[in-house]
Amino acid sequence: MTYVRAIDPLPLESPDHTKLHEFYAKLADGRLTTTACAGCRRTAWPPRGFCPDCGSDRFEWVDLPREGTIHAFTIQEAGLPAGFAAPRVFAIVSVGSHRIFSIVSGADAGQVAVGQRVTFQPLRVADGPKESPRWLVGFTLSEGKA
Amino acid sequence: MMRNVALVGAGVTKFGVRKASYRDLIWEAGKACFDSVPSIRPRDVDGLVVGSVMPERTAFQSHISSLAAEALGIKPSTLSARTEHMCASGTVGIRYAYAFIAAGLADVVMVLGVEKLNQPSGDEAILNMGTGVDREWEAAFGLTAPPCFALAAQRHMAAYGTTEEQLALVGVKNHTHASKNPNAHFQKGATVDQVLCSRMISTPLRLFMCSPITDGAAAVVLAADDRARDLTDRPVWIRGTGQALDGFQLTSLHEDYAHWPALGRAASAAYRMAGITARDVDVAEVHDCFAIAELIAYEELGFCAKGEGGRFVETGRSDYGGDVVVNPRGGLIGCGHPLGATGVAQAAEIWSQLRSEAGARQTPDAAIGLTHNNSGMGEHVVMIYGREPA
Ligand SMILES: [Zn+2]
Repeated sequence: MTYVRAIDPLPLESPDHTKLHEFYAKLADGRLTTTACAGCRRTAWPPRGFCPDCGSDRFEWVDLPREGTIHAFTIQEAGLPAGFAAPRVFAIVSVGSHRIFSIVSGADAGQVAVGQRVTFQPLRVADGPKESPRWLVGFTLSEGKA
Repeated sequence: MMRNVALVGAGVTKFGVRKASYRDLIWEAGKACFDSVPSIRPRDVDGLVVGSVMPERTAFQSHISSLAAEALGIKPSTLSARTEHMCASGTVGIRYAYAFIAAGLADVVMVLGVEKLNQPSGDEAILNMGTGVDREWEAAFGLTAPPCFALAAQRHMAAYGTTEEQLALVGVKNHTHASKNPNAHFQKGATVDQVLCSRMISTPLRLFMCSPITDGAAAVVLAADDRARDLTDRPVWIRGTGQALDGFQLTSLHEDYAHWPALGRAASAAYRMAGITARDVDVAEVHDCFAIAELIAYEELGFCAKGEGGRFVETGRSDYGGDVVVNPRGGLIGCGHPLGATGVAQAAEIWSQLRSEAGARQTPDAAIGLTHNNSGMGEHVVMIYGREPA
């Protein structure tokens, strides 16, 4: 499968590869952040390097709440792409005023429900080029009842 | 002054897991199309548009339009282009050809859609489908199309009481229609029990409610006004077209995933241009990549009220003898979904329906046909065809 791995679906996260590299560095430090436009202060999800509202390409990083609620979800049981195992809980999570697409890890299928509270948890994924660690935004079910 | 434009020829390959190369499929669709219109030879075609999504990954091939032109012996003198718009690439190609011809920049244009999706390794074929969602924010999590449309199905069931049985009925109808289409991927039909007992793919969507990964190609030829009448006795006229987008990423779409406003806008634009309403449509090829998409398409296209999609299929209103025959060729669920080929194959079906050449699949007295092709829940293209020009 080296052939598939030559171009995988995971982002290249380093400063050599993306203007958003600080997002990934903060993620590795356990912080969930996004961009706030330096021109009009609007925040966005996902982070963006150009503001369609004011035209600025300058931004700062702001922290998002670490807890959110499940807005919608589905559990994929078959037909996942190479490199991804079933079952997989895909969810749209409401975090503050934003919706974040991600997966909910470590949950039994029966426990997941719309409105359930989830907690941000950085998700370590396959290393990038030159064994650089890579991270994505992940969630787990919050402790206690919804 | 825009010129009238018509389909003057159409042909499709057998859809399925094909023992064929990318080029074989182009040859096959080209031959089927030229065979349908003996008055047109490759040298008569002045433009070519090829809809194809991911040959770079599946066939190590880009530079597609020139490859197809050479394979078919076409020497474009007005237009040569490839269109890529994920699952709607074929219809986007037809719109380009339409616009060039209507504007007087081309006279006779072939639109060919082609995809060779199946690979020696099946999970790699699925991985390739991840290129159609956002790599950094979606595909990186293993997302492909089924969970996206599953979110819409979950929401539709919660908001409107749509049932698994109603979703299954879309699978039954389209598999049954496909059993009358020798070019369809599947030809055995299906019962409600078979659909409801098929493997769960992404809750609540089961295997027989999903379109498969399919190889195939299709081609149509479009021509202007008088040329169209010279080339065939029964041209099928383009009466209207509309395209609208709500967003690309899931988190940019309407927060109610069962609500697809872009489809409503694309349909309104097409109806307005054609001077018709939803009620005038006799036969429709809609984008049933998943059963839920067909139910929502009924609603957004105006065939029924919002939330009534499940009842619409349950009461037979989208089948022969109902209000409008939806997906007579078997849809994407029955025919398979070779991305770039799908929109062109939908047009080819409307071509044969409006010429009363659809045989066992014929919609009685079909005068107005519609195609709907999407590339995600927030991106839609609608075409309206008629036996008569506007
Ligand atoms: Zn701004």
